[in-house]
Amino acid sequence: MSIIKVEKLSKTFKVKLKEKGLKGSLKSIFKPRYKTINAVKNISFEVEKGEIIAFIGPNGAGKSTTIKMLTGILYPNSGNIKVLDIDPKTERKKLAYQIGTVFGQKEQLWTHLTPYDNFKFFGAIYDIPESRVEKKIEEFKELFELEEFINTPVRNLSLGQRIRCEIVASLIHEPKVLFLDEPTIGLDPVVKENIRTLIKIMNKEYKTTIFLTSHDIGDIEKLCKRVIIINNGKIVLDDSMENLKYHYLNKKIVEAKMKEKVNLDDEDGITILKDKGYNLKIEVDITKKSVSDAIKLLNPDNIIDINISNTPLEDIISNIYKEEKK
Amino acid sequence: MRKYLFIFKSELMSTLQYVFNIAAGFIGCFILLFIFLNLWQYIYSNPSEIINGYTMNQMIWYIIITEILWGISSGKKICVKISNDIKGGNIAYNLNKPYNYILYSLFSHLGSAFVKAIIYTILGMIVGFMFLGSFPNLNILSIIAVILTSVLSTIISALLVSFIGLFSFIIEDSTPFYWLYSKLILIVGTIFPIEYFPSIIQPILKLSPVYVVCYGPAKLFVDFSLNNFITVFISQIIYIGIGFGLCTLLYKKGVKNLNVNGG
Amino acid sequence: MLMEVKNQFKITLLSVKYALVREMLNKTTFITNILFMILNNASFIIQWIVLYSLKDNIGGYTFNQVLLLWGIAASTYGFSHFFFKNAYYLSDTINNGKLDSFLVQPKNVLLSAITNSVETSAIGDFIYGYIMLFIFGFSIKNFILFTFFTICGGFILTSISVILSSLSFWFNKSDIIVDTGNSLMTSLATYPDGIFKGIVKILIYTLIPAGIVNYIPVEIMTEFNINLFLIVIIFTITLISLAFLIFYKGLKRYSSSNLMVARI
Repeated sequence: MSIIKVEKLSKTFKVKLKEKGLKGSLKSIFKPRYKTINAVKNISFEVEKGEIIAFIGPNGAGKSTTIKMLTGILYPNSGNIKVLDIDPKTERKKLAYQIGTVFGQKEQLWTHLTPYDNFKFFGAIYDIPESRVEKKIEEFKELFELEEFINTPVRNLSLGQRIRCEIVASLIHEPKVLFLDEPTIGLDPVVKENIRTLIKIMNKEYKTTIFLTSHDIGDIEKLCKRVIIINNGKIVLDDSMENLKYHYLNKKIVEAKMKEKVNLDDEDGITILKDKGYNLKIEVDITKKSVSDAIKLLNPDNIIDINISNTPLEDIISNIYKEEKK
Repeated sequence: MRKYLFIFKSELMSTLQYVFNIAAGFIGCFILLFIFLNLWQYIYSNPSEIINGYTMNQMIWYIIITEILWGISSGKKICVKISNDIKGGNIAYNLNKPYNYILYSLFSHLGSAFVKAIIYTILGMIVGFMFLGSFPNLNILSIIAVILTSVLSTIISALLVSFIGLFSFIIEDSTPFYWLYSKLILIVGTIFPIEYFPSIIQPILKLSPVYVVCYGPAKLFVDFSLNNFITVFISQIIYIGIGFGLCTLLYKKGVKNLNVNGG
Repeated sequence: MLMEVKNQFKITLLSVKYALVREMLNKTTFITNILFMILNNASFIIQWIVLYSLKDNIGGYTFNQVLLLWGIAASTYGFSHFFFKNAYYLSDTINNGKLDSFLVQPKNVLLSAITNSVETSAIGDFIYGYIMLFIFGFSIKNFILFTFFTICGGFILTSISVILSSLSFWFNKSDIIVDTGNSLMTSLATYPDGIFKGIVKILIYTLIPAGIVNYIPVEIMTEFNINLFLIVIIFTITLISLAFLIFYKGLKRYSSSNLMVARI
């Protein structure tokens, strides 16, 4: 069953153009010029129940715009959205009871109150009876290890603890889908790992579907089974993590330090990335040529040092971004 | 002196970017002037009536000038800046710079006040002419006198407000003092000329900042006399001397304590 | 439906309560803010003493009535700025995409957005209003009427700010309109309507309804008039409805923080 169904979704913004200088400012007051920007262009996709999906793309690609349309914050210009069979455009409130949202850069908590009071406030927002909220907080306290700071005002918490509370606060009403917009932004590696564990627990324990945007490759690699890449408002890739990796794992990077210069030309299955005489970096497509064949080309007796590696996911993704640009 | 002129100029340049916002800030002023036009038209049963030595037109022009002066020098910003500098410890960084902190603050304030002065004066004159259809009797001498005393008035209020800001050396929060000062200027100084108050308190008002900050320039604008000008001018010079002296004293004393405490 | 209204009311009160707790973190600042606002309002009495030394009757008002007028002006302002402080910062909330967090909650966006902080000094205005009522003449009837007009007037002031701020959904620079509208309402509120003539007189009972917020209540409390009373009620309800209508109409054009100014 699809939890999220998006069909031919588009969103345009009218942006005011501003010219430089005093003259430009004056001109823009009396005769403003506008430019239409197509932030999201005719995209369609579906998300299944219980999935953790990564929705990624470079800055300004349309990620946030899409997530905001899915959660009812922005009105689409055209297209259809169904989240849990609810249309965010017309039934915003009804949808709000069913989904949770965390925007990494925007705080929803009252900073002068303790997490405990904040959770109770959110409980009230979602019309949950007092006794159930308390039970829920008890449960979360244990599951997400909030014990030591649940009674400390939020403003005295570390950034990591805050984000953890932000996420927990968005879970009080047991949402079926959770939207996370860059949840790990600005966190140190240990805290990041912490948040990832939290997300994993949520997904496993409560079968929550998770829709995640992030610039952090670690988030994506460690959490998600499926990736949607959006660039310039269009979906450029929608595939399983495995496929994405597999597609590129067929390629190995061979770096070698040689005793003597080798003259190597591009041939089927081999791409030369760097050739500085004694230092060589080549990419081998193992569907066409085995690694050992490639090494043979180099003359194994001449090799001082060799390193064979996979293409890092980070490179894979930034390559996809760049390809789109061309 | 050159460096202070430079500070003045750079503040002036950066204020120029907000010309539109400053002009919009005049709207509040305009509303108040409009209400007072109606109020005085109501109170003066005929235009030739004279109350406490003022005709109706003179009363309206009086308020226009005091409102412009208040608009130019409403120095909350300079008070807040100095008090933040002190509370935030920024003042310590200024110690080893080769300039006088008081003069620095004053000139940067005057830079932005200059832009405001031009905009407010133009708009104020337009509004006055629109309301009344004529200007008071002016000549070259009286115009120069009004401009000169207005500039001095702006400097005095900047110094007085700076002095209040510097109070942060002594007490945690100096805003209540600023509040008292602004009430004095706004309620006692802006709306009525000194002659409107009971004769017992008039001499006190003539010694208060109200006389040099509001009454002086506005009175000269509506009813110029050379004698009056000389009195106002001398009073203003004395006020500037005292104001600057007090600021320097408080600053030096405050900084000394700062050194003892190690910042 | 009834349940929904009840829940909405509960969350609005809770929100105001928490915002108040935040203001009270620093007790000294909290109390001085209130006291200074009372003093601030009181200082304007000087102005009226001077004016009434010139004439016994200004714009059809006695000195006592002007005090009541000030009372109504202060209490309506206080009521509105205390409970709905953010109605006066709504332009900024809209322009900078700060509605997002309210939009994902299953509650009324407008109410959530305007009730999430309170203005401490407004408590001073509110108290000052009632002090003026006591000076004017206290009676149970006056107290009830005064409270009623405070609530109506507070809602009207809030609605005006919401309506003008909602223009931000359509225009970029509308904050100037908001400031002008709000300062018109507060400036006119403390002067007797008798000093105005002609078109302005019409304006203060229509487009700039200082007349409905301030002048009619003073008139009713001096001499009760059922027709004027009904006008206040109808006007209040109309303006509140209009505020919700225009805000929600604009909300469809909300662009979150995606509206940036591109430089060329």
